[in-house]
Amino acid sequence: MGDPFALISQWFTNLLLGWGLSESAATVIRLLVGAVILATISMLTVVVLIWVERKLAGRLQDRPGPNRAGKFGLLQPIADMIKIFTKEIVTPAQADKTIFHLAPVVFIASVLLMWVVIPFTATVMGANLNVAVLYVVAVGAFGVVAVLMAGWSSNNKFALLGAFRAVAQMVSYEVPMVLALMVPVLLARSMGLTDIVNAQSVWFIVAAPIAAVIFLITSMAEVGRAPFDLLEAESEIVAGYHTEYSGMEFGMFYVAEFLHVWTIGALLGTLFLGGWRGPGAETYPLLGILYFYIKTFIGYFIVTWIRLSLPRIRIDQMLAFNWKFLTPLILVVLIFTAILDKVLEVYAVSGWGHALSMLALNVVIGWATVQALKKVEKSRQRRRPEFPPRPVAVAPKSE
Amino acid sequence: MLTNWLYVGLFIIVALVLPAVTIIVPRFIAPKKPNRIKVDVYECGIETVGEAWVQFKVQYYIFALVFLVFDIETVFLYPWAVAFDKLPLFAVMEGVLFIALLLAGLVYLWRKGVLEWA
Amino acid sequence: MTDTTLVAEHPLLERFPEGVTPDERKGYEGFIVAADRLVEFATALRDEFGYDYLSSVTGVDYLPDGKMEVVYHAYKSTGGGALVFKVQVPRENPVVPSLVSVYPGADFQEREAWDLLGIRFEGHPNLKRILMWEGFAGHPLRKDWKEAYFEEEKKPFGSRWPGGAVHRAEDENPFGKNVVYPPDFDPEKWTPVGDEALYAGLREFKKDDDLKTEQVVVNLGPQHPSTHGVFRMVVTLDGETVVRLEPVMGYLHRNHEKIGERNTYLMNIPFTDRLDYLSSMSNNWGYVQAVEKLLGDKIQVPERAEYLRVIMAEFTRIVNHIFAIGTLLNDLGAYFTPMLYALEERELILDIFEAVSGSRMMCNYFRFGGVARDLPPGVYEKMRDLVFERLPRKIDELDRYLTENEVVRARCEGVGVLTPEEAIAFSAAGPVLRASGVPYDVRRADPYGIYDRFEFDVAVRYHGDVYDRYLIRLDEIRQSIRILQQALDQLPEGDVIFGSPKYSMRVPAGEAYGRVEGPKGELGFYVVSDGSANPWRYHVRAPSFINLTALSRMCEGDKVADAIIILGSIDIVLGETDR
Repeated sequence: MGDPFALISQWFTNLLLGWGLSESAATVIRLLVGAVILATISMLTVVVLIWVERKLAGRLQDRPGPNRAGKFGLLQPIADMIKIFTKEIVTPAQADKTIFHLAPVVFIASVLLMWVVIPFTATVMGANLNVAVLYVVAVGAFGVVAVLMAGWSSNNKFALLGAFRAVAQMVSYEVPMVLALMVPVLLARSMGLTDIVNAQSVWFIVAAPIAAVIFLITSMAEVGRAPFDLLEAESEIVAGYHTEYSGMEFGMFYVAEFLHVWTIGALLGTLFLGGWRGPGAETYPLLGILYFYIKTFIGYFIVTWIRLSLPRIRIDQMLAFNWKFLTPLILVVLIFTAILDKVLEVYAVSGWGHALSMLALNVVIGWATVQALKKVEKSRQRRRPEFPPRPVAVAPKSE
Repeated sequence: MLTNWLYVGLFIIVALVLPAVTIIVPRFIAPKKPNRIKVDVYECGIETVGEAWVQFKVQYYIFALVFLVFDIETVFLYPWAVAFDKLPLFAVMEGVLFIALLLAGLVYLWRKGVLEWA
Repeated sequence: MTDTTLVAEHPLLERFPEGVTPDERKGYEGFIVAADRLVEFATALRDEFGYDYLSSVTGVDYLPDGKMEVVYHAYKSTGGGALVFKVQVPRENPVVPSLVSVYPGADFQEREAWDLLGIRFEGHPNLKRILMWEGFAGHPLRKDWKEAYFEEEKKPFGSRWPGGAVHRAEDENPFGKNVVYPPDFDPEKWTPVGDEALYAGLREFKKDDDLKTEQVVVNLGPQHPSTHGVFRMVVTLDGETVVRLEPVMGYLHRNHEKIGERNTYLMNIPFTDRLDYLSSMSNNWGYVQAVEKLLGDKIQVPERAEYLRVIMAEFTRIVNHIFAIGTLLNDLGAYFTPMLYALEERELILDIFEAVSGSRMMCNYFRFGGVARDLPPGVYEKMRDLVFERLPRKIDELDRYLTENEVVRARCEGVGVLTPEEAIAFSAAGPVLRASGVPYDVRRADPYGIYDRFEFDVAVRYHGDVYDRYLIRLDEIRQSIRILQQALDQLPEGDVIFGSPKYSMRVPAGEAYGRVEGPKGELGFYVVSDGSANPWRYHVRAPSFINLTALSRMCEGDKVADAIIILGSIDIVLGETDR
């Protein structure tokens, strides 16, 4: 069974040519249809994801989760969709209307655009860009602009606080994320995601575990998932930047957040877990899609698990964690990775030998980091004044 | 390659139109009954006091400057990483030195107390 | 209970030969202080006699005598009974010097007395209404104040009992016809006036800065996810930092005390359930204790009932602390997971409450002279299983998951510090007080019931921050389990109530202050009887309310996120705060 996707694409092009369209027009239409299909599938994935997440949250929180609408609550997302479609969209009177309505569109567009470069199999992908990694980072940053638009235009103090927090978060976590992404780029010698997947005869998670973890942490911060959900911190600033949104406009933010988390899973899978690679994937591309989705789910599950387990950190701690821990660490990792990689190249070590040497390097750096942290922990006097003990208050013996 | 970028261009249109349509559809099927209280800005049930659009104190503006420097310099490193194969050891060490300088800069900032929450 | 049995020879009388006289009314205790000597008296009391902890301030309207009385209950933070002192002023335009300068903890309580009774406290820094809204006409706790649907002075109302015809007063007297407005007043055009004054006070605070930035006044609450109800904090923000914070409350106010003064004594027991609706058993106890003090020798609580009271009160403490920890974690942003794990244990305890009282939350279980019912079959075994097997294990589990969590520690340590001196001065009570290094627990300091028979430690922590207030709740749960284990082992057989249950009872004239160590702190009930079937005065010293006095002090200079968890660590319930 060849590549069914290539066959379909070929058939479709032939069909269009058969209608008498020119070669270039046919290409444009084929690409347009591809884009619509990809975007729609991405957005519909969210419908499933919402059910998965709620069920997962239920199990992790010692409760059943949705179980009324349909078997296992499977129809719950459908019911939610109907509800949200028929809900009134309230626009605050004092808002900056244009920006206010534009923000959710830009927000979800920024997430959808990431899916352009993600390879589902060796051949099925939106566009095989040679600068895919940079593209992903750039498009992701666009989401923050949307958050700022939403928070600012709402003319709401909570939204504004949320928006400013979002900027702080982006400003911080973008740096280690870009640096962490450089590690797989360096190992694969390419910024194209297909090349990166092809280079992973041994998954990069083996060669670059620290970079993988840092990528996961920073991208969680980029999405604003707990413990980094400061931009919508429910218990502090109500709903943060989307406080004033209602109905489907809120729904778009909601969908975009879920999709973004799923995208993180996809990127993690592609960059560090070998993407669509797996036994038999080369010959049966459908199997590749399955592998890809399984790996995506791994990342998605980890993010959700962390979200449901940890409290939120404070904004100054968030910045300190980034600038005083993540950034120096990834810089060190990058320096040693580059040196070791060149050395291994000189000695012509590749494949598992290469990966295991890299792993050893990571283990050493990780161990050193833990030691350093322990030292800091010991020396750091937690600034807590301790009050002198007093005698326990007791009733005087009867007079 | 050009096809790829054409696809990206088309996708941008699709990615903007698709959510826009999803937002516009409820305009026809959802109720629309605004009133003064409903369209008021939310502030925990109290009528809002003062402006939200003020000269807000953004304590992390200095971080934003640091970010700009770091992000741009990092982006310059990407070509170096892509061309790693073809680089002689000297060029590699140059890149490493560059990263080390970044690290030194960070340590300097740290020492100067820029990374403290003001 | 009090160490003022020899009031006539008390050294205070020597210290103040003039202006201080013993209160010689029958059934009353303490001293009557002349209004002009009050501040001097209180200062001496605090500094020379060691009564540094002002538990309760309230007023009583003695309409027949034409007097307004302010009652103070002061304690030593080293333990022992109360020293009661009173100030009597004429009913018309009563003015009393404020004690905020001596006891900062009097702040909210004096505002409450001004709000509800119209007693003006001279020298109070911020004498505004606190429970009613600014612009409210009259002072509702005055005996001559009548509400919109006023029907009769005392319950049971003649229209409903003994005839049993149920009707609603508002049907006979529909809305609009029962209210009289001043001639130039149009309710449709009325706008709240209190907020402007409030905001003005918050805005005036400006500090010099090289960067030109503006401070923002933000309302956190009443409709806010983390204010635990309809509580409102008006904060002035400078960026993310809280410059000033002013709590605003009263959104759930229903004048509990006025209703209580109209009820018969027995009717008030289920009514106390509605104060702190998470710990109704403790509320019952505080009230029952005050009335039993008034009844004196006329009533004795049977042994078994004493044990059942302790058991229920300690279970309530566990329920409350589990809930407090769960909600604190929610405030920290831990998306409901710890909360739901904690709530599982709470449900099991509520099962027991349901079995003994018929209700999970509004238990209405205590009676004067005992408790309402004995344990149904099977419940004892269930309690044993919980106390000896399940709870210790589950509390350890909670401890293991949360206490050493890096994020929890980073967020809570060193945040919202309250020093022991401040805690005492602000009349903080319960976990808030003990987390600040003051080992004051009413169960030890002024024992009631049969607490002197049990072995337990007064939990205390020495940092006074949010983390310690979290830890102390875990400690207290463990101590409660200890008490429960002893109580269940010793539980004797016998009656659960003294005599036969009576609907109405004669309570001799007098006053009594009953206080228990409620889960949220010292819960006191001040009851004055004039010998009739209804209390003349019924006042609740609500720990949630008084603990909030220190809130601004703890929050200022911290971040918004900190203010939320500081509030969470105080653990308030609005039913009790607003009464």
